[in-house]
Amino acid sequence: MFVDLNQAIDLINQGKILHIAADESLLDKLPKGKWIAGTTPYFITEQGGITSKDKLFVNELSCAEDYKIMVYDKSDILDLPKDAFSNGMTILVIPFASEVAVYYAKEAPYSSNLLMNPTIGWISGYDLSTDSCAKVYDGSTGQSYSNKAVALHICLPKNQMASIGIVNIFSIDENDTIIEFPEDALSVKKCLVNGKEVLLADYIAENNIDTRLPLVANYNSVLVNVSIKSVSKENHTVDFYAPVFSGKEYRFARPVSDYVESFNNNLHKFKDVKPVFSCNCILNYLYGELDGMATPPFAGPVTFGEVAYQLLNQTLVYAEIINS
Amino acid sequence: MITKGDMHMELLELDLVFEKLIKKQAKYESNLLGLNLLISRLQRQYSANQTPEELERCIGEMKAFFDKFNAILKSDIEALRSL
Repeated sequence: MFVDLNQAIDLINQGKILHIAADESLLDKLPKGKWIAGTTPYFITEQGGITSKDKLFVNELSCAEDYKIMVYDKSDILDLPKDAFSNGMTILVIPFASEVAVYYAKEAPYSSNLLMNPTIGWISGYDLSTDSCAKVYDGSTGQSYSNKAVALHICLPKNQMASIGIVNIFSIDENDTIIEFPEDALSVKKCLVNGKEVLLADYIAENNIDTRLPLVANYNSVLVNVSIKSVSKENHTVDFYAPVFSGKEYRFARPVSDYVESFNNNLHKFKDVKPVFSCNCILNYLYGELDGMATPPFAGPVTFGEVAYQLLNQTLVYAEIINS
Repeated sequence: MITKGDMHMELLELDLVFEKLIKKQAKYESNLLGLNLLISRLQRQYSANQTPEELERCIGEMKAFFDKFNAILKSDIEALRSL
């Protein structure tokens, strides 16, 4: 729900277990309680996409029987499943460009325990027209961090389970050019294009590739995007918002002519989902001009990266609670 | 009602299917994101180290996943049995 400061304070004072997204100026005014938060001024509400520093997006986790709030850095972020409840879900918020975000992006896909605990979350951000920094908040102490991640572990009743899902509007053509990388990296120069070594930056320029389109890899039918952050013609480097991995085949996504239409076509399949949490990527918000557009049944913060077990890009992620 | 014993038997029956999946000798796409990511990771893990020990480890991870999320994997178990 999209609420004003007083409504958020009321919910906290009622002892509700909450996940909150809002501008830093509002989060700094919240009392201590059972909540975690991350910074962003961008939201997709039930009424549509909006940039706001006056309201907060709040998810009330009324399904939780118990909760724990934990703060993690690079040294212990992969221990997160050990702290989770045996039947539960974790909402994880990590500040953009922090060491812990980079570490989680590269290492989470290799973690043997992570898939044993439904983990959903986002990379917190900031107003792109300013030079402020992303933060996360541990509401139990009131402490904010720009270099640590915060997790809300919730315990679910025995007859319920959390399920994590994604909505990816991008698709690939299996016959399209295959791009492979020699090592796991957030920044690359060389890659293999259909088996031939080339400089990726040059390949992008020579083929006039729209860098708003992500590279996409197939993870057993799940399409996982890696978005391009920047291309340096001088240094011949391409920087990504999430790592590319060696041993995976990537293809550039097919162009999307109409983001809103693509979202609507995809969202139709999810009309029966009742998400307890969801968030969508800032790149979808900006490139897709989602300002004023709603994406039912999903509403939530607009983020600088999405977590569905591992870090994703240009993807809507959601969690729902299923009666088992 | 499915007992722990029944579940254990179910997972034993699926050992061979898990092995086929991990070795990419069979293909299965779940509706559950976590299961698809797990299959993908284990295929990659085994592909990089094709030893009986690694295969055993990978099958062990599959079993642990199915053991934990059995309640929401019933349709997957049914479908996997027919692979």
